[in-house]
Amino acid sequence: MGMEVSLVEPRTARAAARRWLAALASLKLTLVFLALLGAGVVATYLGGAGSVWLLVLPLALFAVNLGCAVITNGVFRRQTALLTFHLALLAIVLLIAAGRLTFLKGQLELSTGETFRGDLTQFESGPWHPSRLAEISFTNHGFAIDYSPGVKRNQTRNTVSWNDESGRRRVAVIGDQQPLALKGYRFYTSFNKGFAPLFTWHPARGPARRGTVHLPAYPIHEYRQSREWTLPDTDVAVWVMLKFDEVLLDPARRSEFRVPREHTLVVRAGAERRELKPGERYMLPQGVLVYEGVTTWMGYNVFFDWTMPWLLAAGLLAVASLAWHFWNKFAARPWER
Amino acid sequence: MAELQSLWAALLAYVAAGTVAIIAVAMGRRPERSVLALITAGLVLHTASLALRWVRVGYGPFTTLFEILSSNIWSLLTVFVLACWRVPAVRPAAAVVMPVLFMMMGWLLVTNPGEGHLPATYDTIWLYVHVATGKIFLGAVLVAVGLAGLVLLRAVGVAARRFAALPEDAGLDELAFRFMVLAFIFETLMLIAGAVWAQDAWGRYWAWDPLETWSFITWLTLAFFIHLRVTLALRPRLGAVMIMAVFVLAFLTFFGVPFVSTAPHKGAV
Ligand code: HEM
Repeated sequence: MGMEVSLVEPRTARAAARRWLAALASLKLTLVFLALLGAGVVATYLGGAGSVWLLVLPLALFAVNLGCAVITNGVFRRQTALLTFHLALLAIVLLIAAGRLTFLKGQLELSTGETFRGDLTQFESGPWHPSRLAEISFTNHGFAIDYSPGVKRNQTRNTVSWNDESGRRRVAVIGDQQPLALKGYRFYTSFNKGFAPLFTWHPARGPARRGTVHLPAYPIHEYRQSREWTLPDTDVAVWVMLKFDEVLLDPARRSEFRVPREHTLVVRAGAERRELKPGERYMLPQGVLVYEGVTTWMGYNVFFDWTMPWLLAAGLLAVASLAWHFWNKFAARPWER
Repeated sequence: MAELQSLWAALLAYVAAGTVAIIAVAMGRRPERSVLALITAGLVLHTASLALRWVRVGYGPFTTLFEILSSNIWSLLTVFVLACWRVPAVRPAAAVVMPVLFMMMGWLLVTNPGEGHLPATYDTIWLYVHVATGKIFLGAVLVAVGLAGLVLLRAVGVAARRFAALPEDAGLDELAFRFMVLAFIFETLMLIAGAVWAQDAWGRYWAWDPLETWSFITWLTLAFFIHLRVTLALRPRLGAVMIMAVFVLAFLTFFGVPFVSTAPHKGAV
């Protein structure tokens, strides 16, 4: 009779599935996967960038192992705290995966007075990053950093302004522990900052352009304050160098990051070399370059990862449930004979 | 300077405590109260030395090797004394714990006690959470090492008569395991606090820098150890060896990596 057959078959299929689940849920496999993950971490670490699969594969196996154990292992049904702990671990693994698919990490530089319009100097991001950087803008109004003797950097205080959701202008001071958070992106100041000579370029034809050149970071590249760049819309390469004699950051005393009071800007185009004071101009066949003076630029790190608060919550839940589990388990004191 | 003098005095008290504890093993005595009293006296002097320095330089013992060694000797012994107070069965472990600390004290004596500089990124509450949970973690592992050491000493037949009076291996093993679990909980907290701090300080919560990598490997090893015990009913002697392995990893992570690598974790520039 057809009915009996159809009753038996799903049962064996279910039994087979259950056997598979039980096998995948083996705690011995957990040990193997823990060891695999450890090996993957060491390999990634020693091999530099390495392959992400060394981490992704053991974590995926781990998630399967844990998932099957949660379904089949009676221990988890009897011990809620232990179950909560392992589910929190599972959530952490899944959140990290989601984070890697959607994160963005990048760098940008802004001169004092310049407004961010979504351009990064470099970045890496997950394949599904929902980029909203173009919707963000904020302005750098300059920074103050004081240094302890020995040129040891202390707090960075960087004033920025932006328009909030309702269009109101907002101003804040951000710094080492205080990012600017806009639409899920977090902008951090960094040790990467320096001097920015400001120019106006009057081409022979067309409108004038104002802009800065970011010299190498100061004080890290104290003795290499020069850079080559190309005049806008031309192929004229110009080399500039900031020249000054003052000691800005005195190793013997407290000091403050500032632009030099007395300085000249060395400009070289082709074989010609000139020294300019602020306000002076440099004639070229293609136009006139006016040196306006020197200001500063700040390098920012930008980071987007929507999973962060959830990761923190899952981590704290893991710790709390772990403590709860062992609190119950350690009620006995077998060593007190 | 009173600061260094009280440190010397504290180290002398620790050495006296350790010597009594070790001799007692050979003699088959149990002078546990004297050992604890000497360690506690050392801790009082050591606390004074740390406090004087903190007031003088204006920040806690967090940056130079000298400060980190000194404050860890202090915290390891504080955790040990607290453990001895709450769980008297831990007391004989002093004979194993103190020689480990002698090694750190010797190292402390040859490091430069000069001042460092507190990086700008250290101006946060997370510094204290991260450091405190890390110190409890290492202290709990050290207590477990002391107990595991007793198991192993008995296994090789050292001072058999004296050790016969202690709880059986299974009891010591269970007790050591509980301290490892405590260590695991606090290491997890340390990693979480560190990640929150790294996010604020460097704009990323995790980047596999050497210190992050090695502390995660230590965490994995601890998770492996806990599972191994649950899954395979580990024998106490093997468990004791695992505890030693975790301690070596944790110790190298704390005192090796930050002073070998120049990665951002030092907070420099
Ligand atoms: C890094 C990952 C993991 C950590 C840190 C971890 C940690 C723990 C801890 C602390 C316990 C309690 C042990 C005790 O009660 O003495 C435990 C028990 C358990 N774990 Fe995990 N675990 C992890 C991954 C997994 C995975 C992937 C599985 C999946 C098979 C799993 C399955 C179990 C089970 C079934 C128990 C109960 C053992 C028992 O009490 O009899 N764990 N785990």
